[in-house]
Amino acid sequence: MSNDPYAALGLKKTATDEEIRKAYRKIARTSHPDLNPDDAGAEARFKAASAAYDLLKDPQQRARFDRGEIDATGQERAPHGFYREHAEQPGNPYRSGRQYQYSGGAEEFDASDIFAEFLRQRGREGAGFAGFGTDRGAGHSGGGFAARGPDRHYTLEIPFLEAVNGGKTRITLPDGGSLEVRIPEGASDGQTLRLRGKGGPGMGGGPSGDALVTLGVTAHRLFERQGNDIVLTLPITIDEAALGAKVAVPTIRGSVNLTIPKGASSGRILRLRGRGVKPMGGGAQGDQRVILSVVMPPKIDAELAGFLEGWRKTHAYDPRKGMTP
Amino acid sequence: MTGFVTEEELVAAVPRLTRTRLLAFVEAELIVPVRSDRGPVYRQIDRARAELACDLAEDFDLHEDALGMVLSLLDQLHGVRAELRAVLGALESERPEVRQRIGESVYIARRRG
Repeated sequence: MSNDPYAALGLKKTATDEEIRKAYRKIARTSHPDLNPDDAGAEARFKAASAAYDLLKDPQQRARFDRGEIDATGQERAPHGFYREHAEQPGNPYRSGRQYQYSGGAEEFDASDIFAEFLRQRGREGAGFAGFGTDRGAGHSGGGFAARGPDRHYTLEIPFLEAVNGGKTRITLPDGGSLEVRIPEGASDGQTLRLRGKGGPGMGGGPSGDALVTLGVTAHRLFERQGNDIVLTLPITIDEAALGAKVAVPTIRGSVNLTIPKGASSGRILRLRGRGVKPMGGGAQGDQRVILSVVMPPKIDAELAGFLEGWRKTHAYDPRKGMTP
Repeated sequence: MTGFVTEEELVAAVPRLTRTRLLAFVEAELIVPVRSDRGPVYRQIDRARAELACDLAEDFDLHEDALGMVLSLLDQLHGVRAELRAVLGALESERPEVRQRIGESVYIARRRG
């Protein structure tokens, strides 16, 4: 009967728009697969009713169907990947909270309150899982069940400068508490920090697990990190390029003076030794590489144009020499 | 980072979703995108959740507050169902007398009256 949208809604062709809407709502309430997860037939009924309703709710479309201009399947929706398939996965971020996110892992244990309570009781009673069934009666002799708490996984976005220079920040935890995270100097994107004992509590007197914090470093407007070097593009004026100059350059630890050599071209790279990133595990500190970029004045005035016109008659040069492919 | 879609891709993928509606869902924290350097991106779970939220919003005239409550109840329901299945799966591999004993306890605990 799937070809007859009226039948899918349990209606006759003479039904009013209001009756169609009511019939559909009723089916949606009793048969939506997410609201009735145990009813095996619900999904089929709901799909049929949704398709039927999509077709019939628009009076013009309904009229076209009634006239036989379009068929019932012509308006079928794309396959519906129902939410419950996602919601049942361990670590559904919407179930455990909002601002943070557990990520799956081999030892990840996303215990709901019911389980946590159940396992705590087991631990207290000392009826160890290991001895379960085999030496019952001896289970209370103190050799109770103890397990290390689960590791917790978090992700943390930090600004570029905080990553290269280090710092302190806090993560808000699911239970409303927070966790202080010390960012080591030279931390890099994608790196995972392990905070010992800051994970889930142990069971039966076992030690707490660790918190594993994966860092995401946001890009900086000026600086780019390449290994332990910092790369910066520095705009300079034509007179600074031609005559040389001393200019202030931003670095990750404040501004320093840099000497622009006479006759510097765009693309020339100057190196500020030791002004890069201090690698986390020790080792040589990186440099800051400054890429020069000659910027023309906002307006080429008559004086400059006149000078250059005279100058090129006697000083022509060809920077594109030998560029034939 | 596979399986993430942008805001535009999500709106295109879910028939009843408009950009305005998505922004309202995000504002009400019914949908929480993942931040990335491309801006907010959405997971497959967000797509399915957006689809369900649209169904609930249109078919039952639910607005943000009621919608949030219904979604939160569904999250709890689906989570508990998955956990119950895990427990039943674990019991399946226990010896028959253990299953018998647990079955009896459950029956007694859930018996009417």
